[in-house]
Amino acid sequence: MAAPARIIEAPDDSSVRGDEEAALLAAFASGDRQAAAQLTARLGPRTFGLALRLLGDRAEAEDVAQEAMLRLWRIAPDWRHGEARVSTWLYRVTLNLVTDRRRRSRGRMAALDEVAEPADPAPGAARRMLDAQRHDALQVALMQLPERQREAVVLRHIEELANPEIAGIMEISTEAVESLTARGKRALAAILAGQRAELGYDDD
Amino acid sequence: MTEREFDTGPLDDLFAAARAAPPALPPALAARMLADAGRVLDERQAPRPAMPGWRAQLAEAIGGWFGVGGLAAACAAGLWIGLAPPAGLPDPVGLFGQSQTSYDLFQGSDLALALSEDG
Repeated sequence: MAAPARIIEAPDDSSVRGDEEAALLAAFASGDRQAAAQLTARLGPRTFGLALRLLGDRAEAEDVAQEAMLRLWRIAPDWRHGEARVSTWLYRVTLNLVTDRRRRSRGRMAALDEVAEPADPAPGAARRMLDAQRHDALQVALMQLPERQREAVVLRHIEELANPEIAGIMEISTEAVESLTARGKRALAAILAGQRAELGYDDD
Repeated sequence: MTEREFDTGPLDDLFAAARAAPPALPPALAARMLADAGRVLDERQAPRPAMPGWRAQLAEAIGGWFGVGGLAAACAAGLWIGLAPPAGLPDPVGLFGQSQTSYDLFQGSDLALALSEDG
């Protein structure tokens, strides 16, 4: 019998990373503090980055990222290997925390609106412009997208995740992910085109 | 593809720039994350106070071990008094079985005679 000629495919980088993260989580669960430092170095920036892109606010993103990691520390002893990738799980937790926070802040805003109308709209507008200057053009445009489109676009084009993984994180179908990212990109392009015109970037 | 209906060039450039410069993890935030991890480990490794057994719970209900001691002493004293009563107390062992004994409260005098004498 001829030996199978097929070359065993080397696992791609992301699955190797996933295995290493699962191993680190297991080490942490058995009391290895060094593993916590490594997990923080690997997953902390991604968690914080996603929260920051979705919320557009550093302080809030820091809170969310810390809470998401805390949930990871807590779940470590119960982690079941092979069921989900650690990073996927963490992205999903982050997404849910962002959604919760946005829902709560919307409630607060509504309550404030009922209480009093701002006497002078000028300070608010000035601060908004200052905030806008602090963010890059992409972030400003992202914040104008509907939430689900923003989530899909960020996961697809900034975190560079595959559609099936995004579908798992957002708990929707792959087709829905494709539709959200397509619509999101189109809306972003339109917003950015508008911004360029407004800011006088059109050179002709 | 529908994605090619508009010019994605500038947008793709922005995405590429965002990917190339991911936000750094603020050191203070990293420290807080690690502190949380340490706390979670400490909590898990600390000997968990065991659920007290039924004896301990009963003792607690009665008033601690001091209460149990008092109760035991009282029980022993009661048993002792019952078995070997001090002088002046009826011996319960002796009384046992005497419930049928009748006492003549009028010491032999006839009630009917007493009533007739009064007439």
